[in-house]
Amino acid sequence: MIHFDDVSKSFDSLSVLNDVSFAIDRGHTAGLIGPSGSGKTTLLRLIVGALPPDTGSVIVETESIGYVFQEPRLLPWRTALQNIALPLRARGYHRTDALQYAAKWLSQVGLQGFEDYYPTQLSGGMLQRVSIGRALAISPEVLLMDEPFSSLNMELRESLLSLVADIIADGQLSTLYVTHYLPEAMRLADSVMQLDCNGRLQTLSEEYRKKSIAALLRSISHEWTEAELLGRKTCNETEASPSS
Amino acid sequence: MIAPRLHRVRPSAKPPRRIAWAVAGVAVLLLGWQSLSWMMHRAVVASPGETVMALFEIARSGQLWIQLGITLQRLLLSLAIGCSVGLVAGLLAGIQERIRSLFEPLRWVAMALPAVIIAVFGMMWFGMGGEQAVFLVAFIITPVVYVNTVDGVRGIDPQLVEMGRTYRIPRRLFLTQIYLPGIALPVVSGLTLAVGIGVRGIILAELLGSFDGVGHSFSRAWTFLKTPELFAWVLAALALVGLLEFGVLKPLRRRLRRWKGGPSA
Repeated sequence: MIHFDDVSKSFDSLSVLNDVSFAIDRGHTAGLIGPSGSGKTTLLRLIVGALPPDTGSVIVETESIGYVFQEPRLLPWRTALQNIALPLRARGYHRTDALQYAAKWLSQVGLQGFEDYYPTQLSGGMLQRVSIGRALAISPEVLLMDEPFSSLNMELRESLLSLVADIIADGQLSTLYVTHYLPEAMRLADSVMQLDCNGRLQTLSEEYRKKSIAALLRSISHEWTEAELLGRKTCNETEASPSS
Repeated sequence: MIAPRLHRVRPSAKPPRRIAWAVAGVAVLLLGWQSLSWMMHRAVVASPGETVMALFEIARSGQLWIQLGITLQRLLLSLAIGCSVGLVAGLLAGIQERIRSLFEPLRWVAMALPAVIIAVFGMMWFGMGGEQAVFLVAFIITPVVYVNTVDGVRGIDPQLVEMGRTYRIPRRLFLTQIYLPGIALPVVSGLTLAVGIGVRGIILAELLGSFDGVGHSFSRAWTFLKTPELFAWVLAALALVGLLEFGVLKPLRRRLRRWKGGPSA
């Protein structure tokens, strides 16, 4: 469904992605981890066509793409229901039909009764639920999630992860889940890829993932940090991409 | 255990108290006016009582409604022209940097020219009558609406624009769902300013070069030294601004602000 062949992308002299190749098949979920500034968001932008690659090819076999951003990015002047209905209307749904269908998705993400609430009246977790509802309402073939729960507390994160896991398990979605947290990626994804600060992508082997899980279990009382899981915390400034 | 520190927040004045203060302000204004009329010759300053009597007289004769209607019609036409041009130009300039640079000298000239000079040009090009008044006010209002629209567009969260592009929102929906609601508040604020400027402009233009309207009636009352009537027309002009400000723009602003409500969930 998504094919990257030797894709490179630079901003001025700053190389963000370096000969990146991978594929995500229909119905599969891939996790993408990497430190801040490693080009994760740039990779997503290439998928949606917001950026062209400098070299290599990006093939996405569908235009039906749902995107859950890091911040909910809801229109503040539209209600929760109208926000979910927006991409439906962009796909030619009549206003009434779009609202009816959006109501179904609002209920699916557990927000029945909040149809007429404006984003300013909803909590962080609720906003992200609306954002997930908006991404899924268009019945996408590809779902991109860009660190969607990074600003939420552990409890909310857990409840939304369960919601996403159920949705992914149900459908024929090809999903790319971007996160800082390896355990989160391992929980949702069939395969996990890692971008390093040089913009190089590698798929984490099954063995590596098993070791990581074992390490996690061993250190159940130990508070794991992002740096411990990823080997480093953030790319230094000279390596950071302007867009991720 | 440390007890949480409570902050005593002094609440802002409640609505009835605010209204009482506003009424007190009006009373002070009337008292000042009455005192001024006692101190100065009645041919120069009419008292509030005389003004109200004159107002009733021109209302009874029907002149008040006729002239107010003419001025209001001109004002609305100028606002419609000024807002349409300012809004479209502002949207284009807000979205496209190059268009903004192109319009910048025009905006500067339109805002720097004194109203009297535009009024003179209006009379030269359109002759005496209502058209020059409409031209003057539309000319003054356009850059005000333009500047507020540009600011509004540039103030729209770029992440929302990116969201719209990611979901491939078509241009028409982009305009009606993202840009127009995003700029609505600054544009209506600009419109409030424009209405005040517009009423002043239309009365100036009617005073200088028209045969009817509130400004012309004011000029006639001045020529014939009918001071109470002259003051009555001033009240009529204020009523016009009040009608648009409190009857149209304030409810509109309140409606547009409803999404800015506090947390509820």
